[in-house]
Amino acid sequence: MTAGVDARTAPPAVPVAPVGPPGELVRTGETFRVVGTSISHRDFEQKVRGELSYADDWRMPGMLYGRIVRAQLPSALIERIDRSGALAIPGVHAVLTAADVPRNAITEEASGLGMDPIVQPVLAADRVRYQGEPVAVVAAETAAAAEDAADRVLVDYRDHPGVFDPEAALAPDAPLVHRQGNRLVEWRLERGDPDEALRTADAVVEGEYRTQFVDHAYMEPEAGVGWIDGDGVVTLRVATQVIEHAREIAQILGVPHTKVRVIGTYMGGGFGGKEDMTIEPYLALLVWATRRPVKMVWSRQESLLARQKRHPFTMYYRTGVMSDGRIVGETVRIVGDAGAYPLLSPRVLFAGAVTAAGPYDVPNVRVESTAVFTNNVPTSAMRGFGAMQVVFGYESQMDRLADQLGLSRTEIRERNFIKKGGQLPTHEQLDTYVAVRETLQTALEALDEEAGSGDAALDGGDTNAHYLVGRGFACGIQPYGRSRFFADRASCWMGLERDGSAVVRIGVTDLGAGQAASLAQITAEVLGVHPDRISVHIADTALTPLSGGTFGTRQLYMSGNAVLKTARELRDKLAPVATSLLGVDDPAELEFADDRVAVRGGADRFLSLAELSGAAEERGVMPFHLSTFEAETGHFDVRTGRGQTFPDFTFGTHAADVAVDLETGQIRILRYVACHDVGRMINPQRVEGQIQGGAVQGIGYALSEEIRIVEGIPESSLFADYLMPTSADVPDVRAIPLEIGLGKGPFGARGIGEPPIAPPAAVLANAVADAIGVRITELPITPERVLAALRERRGVGADRERGGPTPA
Amino acid sequence: MYPSLFDYAGATSWPQAVQLLQEGGEEAKVLAGGQSLVPMMALRLATPALLIDVNGAGDGEPRRESGRLVVPALTRHATLQRSVVVRDACPILAEAASWIGNIRVRHRGTIGGSVAHADPAGELPCSLVALEGAVRVLGPSGERIIAASNFFQTYFTTALEPGEVVTAVEVPVIASGRGWAFLELIRRVGDFALVEAAALIDLDDAGQCARVRLTVGAVGERPVDLSDEAGAVLQNGSIDEASAAEVGRRASAAVDPPDAVHGSGAYRREMVAVYVRRALLAAAARAGRGGAA
Repeated sequence: MTAGVDARTAPPAVPVAPVGPPGELVRTGETFRVVGTSISHRDFEQKVRGELSYADDWRMPGMLYGRIVRAQLPSALIERIDRSGALAIPGVHAVLTAADVPRNAITEEASGLGMDPIVQPVLAADRVRYQGEPVAVVAAETAAAAEDAADRVLVDYRDHPGVFDPEAALAPDAPLVHRQGNRLVEWRLERGDPDEALRTADAVVEGEYRTQFVDHAYMEPEAGVGWIDGDGVVTLRVATQVIEHAREIAQILGVPHTKVRVIGTYMGGGFGGKEDMTIEPYLALLVWATRRPVKMVWSRQESLLARQKRHPFTMYYRTGVMSDGRIVGETVRIVGDAGAYPLLSPRVLFAGAVTAAGPYDVPNVRVESTAVFTNNVPTSAMRGFGAMQVVFGYESQMDRLADQLGLSRTEIRERNFIKKGGQLPTHEQLDTYVAVRETLQTALEALDEEAGSGDAALDGGDTNAHYLVGRGFACGIQPYGRSRFFADRASCWMGLERDGSAVVRIGVTDLGAGQAASLAQITAEVLGVHPDRISVHIADTALTPLSGGTFGTRQLYMSGNAVLKTARELRDKLAPVATSLLGVDDPAELEFADDRVAVRGGADRFLSLAELSGAAEERGVMPFHLSTFEAETGHFDVRTGRGQTFPDFTFGTHAADVAVDLETGQIRILRYVACHDVGRMINPQRVEGQIQGGAVQGIGYALSEEIRIVEGIPESSLFADYLMPTSADVPDVRAIPLEIGLGKGPFGARGIGEPPIAPPAAVLANAVADAIGVRITELPITPERVLAALRERRGVGADRERGGPTPA
Repeated sequence: MYPSLFDYAGATSWPQAVQLLQEGGEEAKVLAGGQSLVPMMALRLATPALLIDVNGAGDGEPRRESGRLVVPALTRHATLQRSVVVRDACPILAEAASWIGNIRVRHRGTIGGSVAHADPAGELPCSLVALEGAVRVLGPSGERIIAASNFFQTYFTTALEPGEVVTAVEVPVIASGRGWAFLELIRRVGDFALVEAAALIDLDDAGQCARVRLTVGAVGERPVDLSDEAGAVLQNGSIDEASAAEVGRRASAAVDPPDAVHGSGAYRREMVAVYVRRALLAAAARAGRGGAA
């Protein structure tokens, strides 16, 4: 081992221990030095020290401050905009309206299948379609002057009929949000004959489930600074998940794509909220108009009021089952509120449709998934992306089926779990090992272990309260990677410096989940360069090969594979230089490790990587390489609903015990475990972080978070009224990553960014139902809804008081 | 999130604060801890033309004065929470302070600011009414002491006259044997309460209720004193599940809280019954026979 590599950062190579039942596992027998270790990375330390320069930390000489003027009504016609008052304020440099936008259109064809032609204006011209829609944008010398100016842009509105409920919006006489109609997209998947199966089933359970608008609520607001550089390129240094938006920004400005550069900063969270553009077009317009550097930071109010939200779903499930627990048929109808513009709604409703039957092989199934325009704030990407809402539906159904048949809740799931080779409602077959059963067993065992270890008094110290205790769990399936029909690609440039250190250039953005750090770890594994000697340059459209945005749990799969491929190809390119210098015939005899390349088994026959780099260059073999990873592609037929969708899926199970206060309806989580099969961990600490963070965010979704929108007007525009839990409100989540079924990421890794957020709502709904004997079918599970359910139970005379959780 | 323009003046004494306040007129606001005023200014819900910073006007610590606990206006909530003098003389006040906001708010916010702001969901107003406390104020015509029961009038409105500032709060020292409880219902740690209940109970030698003080907060325009209603049920009787629940029912009937994002009015009204019952039982459990009465 080289100096500086301690046991923690680079343990000796040992085979990865197999987990779970032998025989069914795919094992490669690979051993790892760096992959699978919880090494730190500079971003951790910089964040803790407060040294990392986030988007809002950037300043430029002569910088102006931008602010958006937003619609105050959810549906209205714009009669007149008077900007004279704003322009009269000292220090105001620009007040722009729709007429000032060279090409007033945000275009992204979200479905990928040519289904949504509706264009969203950058600034509303003649009509506003949701409260908070940008109408004008101002720039001034101070942030306060910009705010004063924004307040003085006077907009005269005329009321225009709006529609605020997606099902009402589908009525024939509903006011139209867009003249093309309120139905944005409808996906229809069908396998077998669900109607006949439901007719002949031994039992049919029907359920209707409703979910709410929620916000991403990341710590870092939408922020950035823009300027025009010396080459006349509009340069935006912004918090974004997708630097490729540079092309859309160029189109808005009417300039060649090469005249806009986006530099993505390390983010303080994105969760899909920075996947669509946020500040970028407004910043670009102000920079373009004033020729000055401009900063824009959205206030939390703006963010809560007007940035896109998670889709509320209404889900209608009918599930038919035989008395032995086999599910024979299911129909699912999903209606999602898209809000006023398409954004990524077609894709979200698609992901919901594909996973609507859950991790179960249902031979006869029909899914209809519709996105509907309303005059509510637009909805779009958020961690879980449509595959989250449906977990609340299908896992509530599973417990109901178990209760109906008198089967245990594990048994009904185990009888129906999908396996490798099993089919989704799209008819596609899963082609990797499905370890959902193992995650279920592991989660329940861990929960028993936690319960056995004893914990705080149930009553939280209040001896005058009355509680019931219950247990719940839920399994989930979540895709990783973009739909195959997007033919996703990620490119990477990698070079070995003369001193043997390595440089990686790749367009990936870093949400805070360690995207860049993982890439350093993969590079280190292949090239043998110590991770501290690797610089990963990310997220700059001018300097880094594009690798696609960080969303859809695609980044490890895509950029991880791109880095792995590039590193292996670079290694293969340099190997002949090494073989000739070391006097061996076969590159397979070489081992790249510990900052050198050595002959296997020949301790004294090695070159340092610095020597290799220099020798290669002398021989005209340039020690750098550019490569592109191409994801698995496939065809999907919109008409039949058949075909291939996502490259692969991640499975998991969460389980919890809760105490329900029978007088207040409050729910206290006594213990919570979350288990996912991730195939292979690149960095275990980061994997656990993703699982814990996802579970906590999902708990907020389950119990308290909601942007309540009444007639198009959001009631929660401050964190005071948006009940995101704090560290004092959530339990310790025990995260259990398993490495069982190898996936399609580098070294068999599966994506873990999104999957952990999805199960908690179903887990807690099931646990509450177990405790009080009544099921909550609408999120969030508020104390008032619990009390209403308890009243309903008393109404029907059931009495099921119990002291402890029901065994699973 | 930027306040509109305002002038700033620092006062180094209470008389100077009164003078500045008189000069500033209706457009002037007093800045103490700023934990309510500053967010309102940032949201432009408050747009004072002049801020009078009274943080330099005095720095006394809570102290006992002839059977009363006197808490200077600039006492931070964190001090209230931790002060040995307060915990000893009036533990319910320390308990109430611990429910205020979060640790940052408690380190800046002051008792004087809290009572002058008179948020109906404030923990301190609710406790002060239960404790039969009083507010010391200084104005152009000198000092006066206003009973807490008269001080809090309606939403964000007090008995303060123009030009008057709060200089201290005083409460009777809680005698040993007097049982007390302060409970509140929240959806999330650190948030404003949906319901608050403050109870003080003295038991006689037989363990029966000799005297009861009961106030509920966050459910009306100001703290609601339900001591008479509680006394009608409990006086000279035992405090048990049944009698405490009966007071809870009466308390619930006496309030009509509005709907809020955190909970509907109907829910909060129902919870008044629960929290009154729990507070009475908790206070009774702390009370000693033949205690303070």
